Amino acid sequence: MRYHMTMKRNGREPILQAAGYAYNFDRMAYYNRGARKVFSVEWVRDHTHEEIQQALEAPNDSGDWQIYADPPPSQRVVNEFLAEIDA
Amino acid sequence: MPRNRSVEDKLRAEYFELLADIRLAVLETETRVRSHLLGVSLNLKQYERLLVTSRVKECNSAVDALRRRQPFGIFDEDRPDDYSLTQLRDLAGIRVMAFPRQRIDDAHAALLEILSLWTADPVPGVDGASVPLARKYFGTWTPHTRITAEIQIVGLLIGSFWEVEHSAIYKPDPNLRGVVESEKVMQPRNDVLAALQAFELAFEEAVSNRDTRRS
Repeated sequence: MRYHMTMKRNGREPILQAAGYAYNFDRMAYYNRGARKVFSVEWVRDHTHEEIQQALEAPNDSGDWQIYADPPPSQRVVNEFLAEIDA
Repeated sequence: MPRNRSVEDKLRAEYFELLADIRLAVLETETRVRSHLLGVSLNLKQYERLLVTSRVKECNSAVDALRRRQPFGIFDEDRPDDYSLTQLRDLAGIRVMAFPRQRIDDAHAALLEILSLWTADPVPGVDGASVPLARKYFGTWTPHTRITAEIQIVGLLIGSFWEVEHSAIYKPDPNLRGVVESEKVMQPRNDVLAALQAFELAFEEAVSNRDTRRS
């Protein structure tokens, strides 16, 4: 939660919100079903505004969810997370 | 141990295996801290305060804290052996609270001798302020112990506010999540912290000016 509060303060969250990303409090991640991208709060914290912007603008033509998280979660964790937000 | 036990069940079982050691770590840490603060305590003026509190992290709080450190806050049930509550730095927690600011510095100075091998992890100030809200250290007293303890040194006013903030904002009821993080709540919360620090500063200056006039 402290990370998320920091995101709100340091201007990173507004970038994500402006791009249509919602924050999931339980999973501590920003996601956008349309763009099919997920950013963990730690990844957002550890990257600059420019890097976040580049990740937001990067094309995703695969149809699969793109996961931005450090460290990368296992496939089982990703599946569990996606099952929740797709429900 | 049955293979089909969930990670959380495994961690709860581990908690009760560790509990005696956690209690011992709390007792040892609190005793060492109080011992080193004796000189400060004995020289307090009537209006000054120095409090030492301690707590054993509760089972659900410990499991939840470890879960929140995982990617997306999810334990990987395929890798139960990756997780142990001993990865937490604050199973045993001691908080030193003092008023006014000079006594916080005195307490910190008195404890530095025993904290020299511990890791500093200060609580950042509001809105990136250079002055931390609190000093925080974690470490162990012996190399082979499984329990890491945490010592916080904080102003009494902010420490008291944290008692409320911890359960209301930092770890809110699930029904309050999102609500308490709104600007409507967070801005006054930050204003409170800034005001408490401003009061400490103003009080210290007033006392200092009075002492200067007397001398």
